[in-house]
Amino acid sequence: MAGHSPPIIHFDHATFGFPGVVALEDISLEIQSGEFVGVIGPNGSGKTTLCRAVLGLMAPLKGHLRIFDCACDELRCHHRAKIGYLPQKGVVDRNFPVTVLETVMMGRYGALGLFTRPSGKDRKIALDALAHVGMEGHRDNALGRLSGGQQQRVFIARALAQQPQVLLLDEPTTGLDITTQHNVVELVQHLHKELGLTVLLITHDINMIRSRVDRLVLLKTRLYAAGPPADVLKPEILSQVYGKDLVITERDTITVEDYHHHH
Amino acid sequence: MLELFTYDFMQRSLLAAALVGALCSTIGVFVVLRGLAFVGAGTAHAAFAGVALGFLMGWPPLLMALLFGLGTVWITGWVEEKGRMKLDVSIGILYTATMALAILFIGLMKTYNAEVYGYLFGSVLAVTSEELRTIAGLSIVVIGSIVLFSKELYFIAFDQEMAEASGVPARRIFFLLLTLVALTVVVSLKTVGAILVFAMILIPASTAYQLTHSLSTLTWYSILIGVSCSVGGVLLSSIWDIPSGPAIVLLATLVFFVAVLLSPKRQRQSLAMN
Repeated sequence: MAGHSPPIIHFDHATFGFPGVVALEDISLEIQSGEFVGVIGPNGSGKTTLCRAVLGLMAPLKGHLRIFDCACDELRCHHRAKIGYLPQKGVVDRNFPVTVLETVMMGRYGALGLFTRPSGKDRKIALDALAHVGMEGHRDNALGRLSGGQQQRVFIARALAQQPQVLLLDEPTTGLDITTQHNVVELVQHLHKELGLTVLLITHDINMIRSRVDRLVLLKTRLYAAGPPADVLKPEILSQVYGKDLVITERDTITVEDYHHHH
Repeated sequence: MLELFTYDFMQRSLLAAALVGALCSTIGVFVVLRGLAFVGAGTAHAAFAGVALGFLMGWPPLLMALLFGLGTVWITGWVEEKGRMKLDVSIGILYTATMALAILFIGLMKTYNAEVYGYLFGSVLAVTSEELRTIAGLSIVVIGSIVLFSKELYFIAFDQEMAEASGVPARRIFFLLLTLVALTVVVSLKTVGAILVFAMILIPASTAYQLTHSLSTLTWYSILIGVSCSVGGVLLSSIWDIPSGPAIVLLATLVFFVAVLLSPKRQRQSLAMN
């Protein structure tokens, strides 16, 4: 982790939402280049808002957010192309008539800009991205015919085809079986190490990522905690955020006990 | 039958039908994939209101059709972008309001005007050389724009937010798509008419959708189906002496149902169910 280099993403007392609705309030957070950061929090805690803000799709109502040292609502196309994004499952139509390679090639479009047609070089970048996620053998298959885990790999390859500096993943394991969940998170960890990517992974699954991330960010409209997993995953902090007693068991996994039942 | 091709009016009709078929089926790919089918229908009716106003006031009908069509798609796009209401609701309101205007304008005309109804039902066999030149010119503009921005149009059809997030100027491309839909409708008014143009946008792309999983193949299939059905429909209408618009659309509908029956996607689904 480059401790003293300028942060790649910098929230400075930033508040996000719509008139009358605050989704995230007074967030101050710096993410350094090359970090692997997990973002956790209950439903409605503002995780997806954070994601949209980093993508430059939402400007702060108050405060500032700078990405690549540029105000987030002034991100130019070439800035946006440096953030590879994996949307939540269900956001895109998985039966859209598109092949695996056509899907990954779309990752090149933002970086290429208008009026430039994809070249052989772009095709090679897309094929390399497919190889990185182990899907090179499926390039001519229909996206809709792949399993959920394979589709996630293709979407990660699309993000990689942008040749991004930041990989932003919004609940990438939702709806996948347990083995596939592990495989997807392992793939992300591998890409983080191999390509030196800054990774921002939004998830509900604390157990899945706690041993893999450099830092955890715990949200519930406000930023409750940010730091190494051991510092964030303290029962007193978690129960404040989740309204439950979360117990760290001997096997080092977190279980939830109903607050009322416990008392 | 071959002597049909020697008539000037027939050559013009076939060329106009081929152009409109190619145009509608190309833009149709993006309309179907982006879920804008109802926008096509609404725009066609709005454009007809423009035609009716043109005839009522003595203004150029196609220009008025263009203004009404553009007004409708831009308002619809703006409403969707602002998230004020769902796209099908806003277009539904504009669709009926513009149709009401069309009926009002026709009612205000002092005499019966058969030409107005030509724009409602289409009359490709009556296309003049001047109209053919307009159709050709606008076709070049629309198809040229689609070729120029094809990668962005495909991306926003797939996932507009994702496209915007990865650096594609998605909102501007969406408005370009809406504009091209309006232009296509106006170009096609004279040949297939306001009611049937919507079918020509929708059916070839939906037919191609049954046959392939690849975006590029889908586009080529759609164009092939659109041009074949348009030209085939004009020939059928001449041979059997039936109106050209319905002949084109019913032929396209027949091809659609055959494609559904033969669809590899459908066969795979039945295999999976067994």
